[in-house]
Amino acid sequence: MGVGLELYGMHRDNDEFPIEISLSPLETEEGLLVSAAIRDATAHKRSEEALKRSNAELEKFAYIISHDLQEPLRMITSYLTLLQRRYADNLDSDANEFIYYAVDGAQRMRLMIQDLLAYSRVGTQALHIELTDCETVLQEALDNLHASISESNSIVTHDPLPTLTVNPTQIIRLIQNLISNAIKFRGERPAQIHISARRDPQNWLFSVRDNGIGIEPQYAQRIFEIFQRLHTREQYPGTGIGLAICKRIVERHGGRIWVESQIGQGSTFYFTLPVFAQLNHIGGDDECDQTA
Amino acid sequence: MNAIKPLEILLVEDNSGDVRLTREALKEGKLRNNLHVISNGMEALDFLHRNGIYIAAPRPDLILLDLNLPRKNGQEVLAEIKADDILKRIPVVVLTTSQQEQDILKGYGLHANCYIVKPLDLEQFISVVHKIEDFWLVMVALPSRQGGNS
Repeated sequence: MGVGLELYGMHRDNDEFPIEISLSPLETEEGLLVSAAIRDATAHKRSEEALKRSNAELEKFAYIISHDLQEPLRMITSYLTLLQRRYADNLDSDANEFIYYAVDGAQRMRLMIQDLLAYSRVGTQALHIELTDCETVLQEALDNLHASISESNSIVTHDPLPTLTVNPTQIIRLIQNLISNAIKFRGERPAQIHISARRDPQNWLFSVRDNGIGIEPQYAQRIFEIFQRLHTREQYPGTGIGLAICKRIVERHGGRIWVESQIGQGSTFYFTLPVFAQLNHIGGDDECDQTA
Repeated sequence: MNAIKPLEILLVEDNSGDVRLTREALKEGKLRNNLHVISNGMEALDFLHRNGIYIAAPRPDLILLDLNLPRKNGQEVLAEIKADDILKRIPVVVLTTSQQEQDILKGYGLHANCYIVKPLDLEQFISVVHKIEDFWLVMVALPSRQGGNS
């Protein structure tokens, strides 16, 4: 009761302390009564505050990593490129190749830093949840992927999608990452991607099905880990954080994500989102602001 | 038609790597210019006010200002420039690595003429410097040169 409200009780010596109240109905012979339980939440509040502080520090740390580390990287990349431009005539193919690997390394490091920041933000940003139409979410993800969909001649279809209480930005990100992967790992034929959703009592079960290269069963868990990739960068670009972010988003909302796949046939990514919104503390703060 | 006098550009930047990159980019550009480099905010203001050793300093046609400076930071320098009746007419291009919304807001709030986030890529960096030249020193009419340079 009173989600988002700060409730306080008072000790006899006028000392205020935070409380939590829960109400439950009680059927009695005299009719319906309400049983109220009032709990001293001091310990809980203290640990909440400690969590909030540690999140603020993590966020600051992530910013430092992403921002301050980029400057030296920029120097490395810029000057190697300048070297190449200025001395192109004096450099043999070995020298050019050495410079290429150095520049490539610096650029990959930059991408990884940006991705780590995005990943950490999933957990630390205050999660604002609201009634969200997943058809709109899908449309926005498709708009963001417009260029890559048309370049690859991919076809995306979907069944009717529900409206539920989630953080729209994160769900757009989730769906966009899954579709983007389906396009990237499409193999020889044009990607055919289908999104659907089915309800059971507790959850909506979403699926994103593709006809791409597929994933071997022994790697089905590993692909959700940070920077874990199954292919070389020459075969398929990317740092390997897309699915780790998806997993974090889904778990933050109280759901699960997994894949069923056949090598050479395609993969179906499944994820659940609870019908009744709940938020998990994956290193996140649990201030949630429900507007329904 | 080129300007008869080279254009005076003041670059306030403490990162010598970025200074060199800006110099190289301006060298590749079309305009004859004198680049004055000052690496901290206090000296930059001395230069602009023609104090002490800067008594004969030219008035810049354009100021490129980094926000992250030692001692007086870029925002304070910007505020002082735009508070001075003469200096405030000089266009100030804030060229910095921060893309944080609050820094951008603060920059425009202090009357920066424009705010540019330094690109991470060399080609883009050079292109940005050339575009700054083209826009602020060719297209735009500046107080001391009526009607641009053509």
